[in-house]
Amino acid sequence: MTILVILLKSILIGGLVGFAAGMGAARMFNAPTVQALGAFRTLGEMNACEGDPASHFSFGLGFFFNAWASTVGAGAFTQDVTHRVIPNWAASVLLLKDKKVENTVHNPKKMAIAGAIIGIIVVAFLNTTASAIPKSLQVTAVKVLVPAADLLINIVMPIIFWLAAIDAGKRSGLWATIFGGLSAMIMGNAVPGVVLGILIGKGVDELGWTRITRVMLGAVIALFILSGFFRGFDIQMIEGFKLQVPNFINNMHSIFNVK
Amino acid sequence: MDEEKTMEIDKKSFWYSEWSFPIMVGLMAAGVFAGTHMYFVYNVGAFNEVAIVAMLKAGMDGGSYGAAAAFGASFLFARILEGSLVGILDLGGSILTGVGIGIPTILLSIGWKAPISNFWLSIVTGLVLGLIIGGIITLVRKYTINQSSATFGADVMMGAGNSSGRFLGPLIILSATSASIPIGIGSIIGAVIFYLWKKPIAGGAILGAMIFGAFFPVSLK
Repeated sequence: MTILVILLKSILIGGLVGFAAGMGAARMFNAPTVQALGAFRTLGEMNACEGDPASHFSFGLGFFFNAWASTVGAGAFTQDVTHRVIPNWAASVLLLKDKKVENTVHNPKKMAIAGAIIGIIVVAFLNTTASAIPKSLQVTAVKVLVPAADLLINIVMPIIFWLAAIDAGKRSGLWATIFGGLSAMIMGNAVPGVVLGILIGKGVDELGWTRITRVMLGAVIALFILSGFFRGFDIQMIEGFKLQVPNFINNMHSIFNVK
Repeated sequence: MDEEKTMEIDKKSFWYSEWSFPIMVGLMAAGVFAGTHMYFVYNVGAFNEVAIVAMLKAGMDGGSYGAAAAFGASFLFARILEGSLVGILDLGGSILTGVGIGIPTILLSIGWKAPISNFWLSIVTGLVLGLIIGGIITLVRKYTINQSSATFGADVMMGAGNSSGRFLGPLIILSATSASIPIGIGSIIGAVIFYLWKKPIAGGAILGAMIFGAFFPVSLK
């Protein structure tokens, strides 16, 4: 019974996601005239397949296996389902009928419809097969994957982003170091801070201190102050420096305390 | 990308217009948010990388949702800024991570379970969130479009994002080898097969570890 519910829900989810992924991918070929939804790597990879249905299909298939392994193991589809499997398979199906990419892969309407159909099939397949796997098998996966994932998120990803920021120039390295360190303390992970640092550093490199970059910096600082406040970082910091927490800060926290 | 410029783009039609962008984002966000509902209820179906879903899992198992919430929300914020400036909203950071992980964990951390545990509510919540995000981007574009051709380091982030994915394979094998010797051997064999087959080795390492783990089980502490 549960499996039937999962199947029905998957069909709806797959249709929604597939429709938007197909349409968004086709619109990428018309960006920036048209605002698109996708990823640069998807655009590059789809261009690399050069409108050959077999290349699009096998490219998607490789990532499909990976997504399937990950879904069976940990219940996570990987981002490749929306980034690679759906757009490339939708493109491959359309190209079978018409070889001209302008009429097929670059057409949001056709890609949306093909994407919706592919999405339904892929999501339904992944969810039903993975939920049919016995629980005891998932124990291994959890035992192996969770520690690996923790290392990846907390140590490896911050370092890779951080070094990329440093290599990208003095400004992005500087801002990434400041915000990365702060976000490791305030948010518990350095990646968001490093990403925001790159955004500001490269933005200033390319535009200078214009209104856009100043507004961005202001927004980032506001984000840090707000998340610091709501996670109680201000109190921890004052206590860390062995100082008395002023009453007005305690009062402000008690207003927002939801617990 | 230049040759398509000759193609007729009817910016008034639904498929190419600015106003359809929020609808498209809304549909995507609805599906992804419902995917998180699936994971929350059935432990399967989250639209994200294992590493990021693991943060949600940590919260569901009684830990803190803080890491996932901050991670997802900051990604969403950065991607909205970037997306409106470069013309492509990054699906992974904004919707999959921001809407799929960040916002649900914020809701869960304040004890608001209903939007995630109820299927229809999750679809509606996702749809509304997507419409808001798409709307913000359309608005920002109105005021900033053609003002700059800056990429805001999107290439840097993209490169870093891609290379961090590569680390997962070796990390999984390392973690499998410390789980138990049979599981370690299984993950090595799986990774080797996938490597020779020219596939990302992470998938093979997971499958190999699972197959050997099925015959030589370990208990979850």
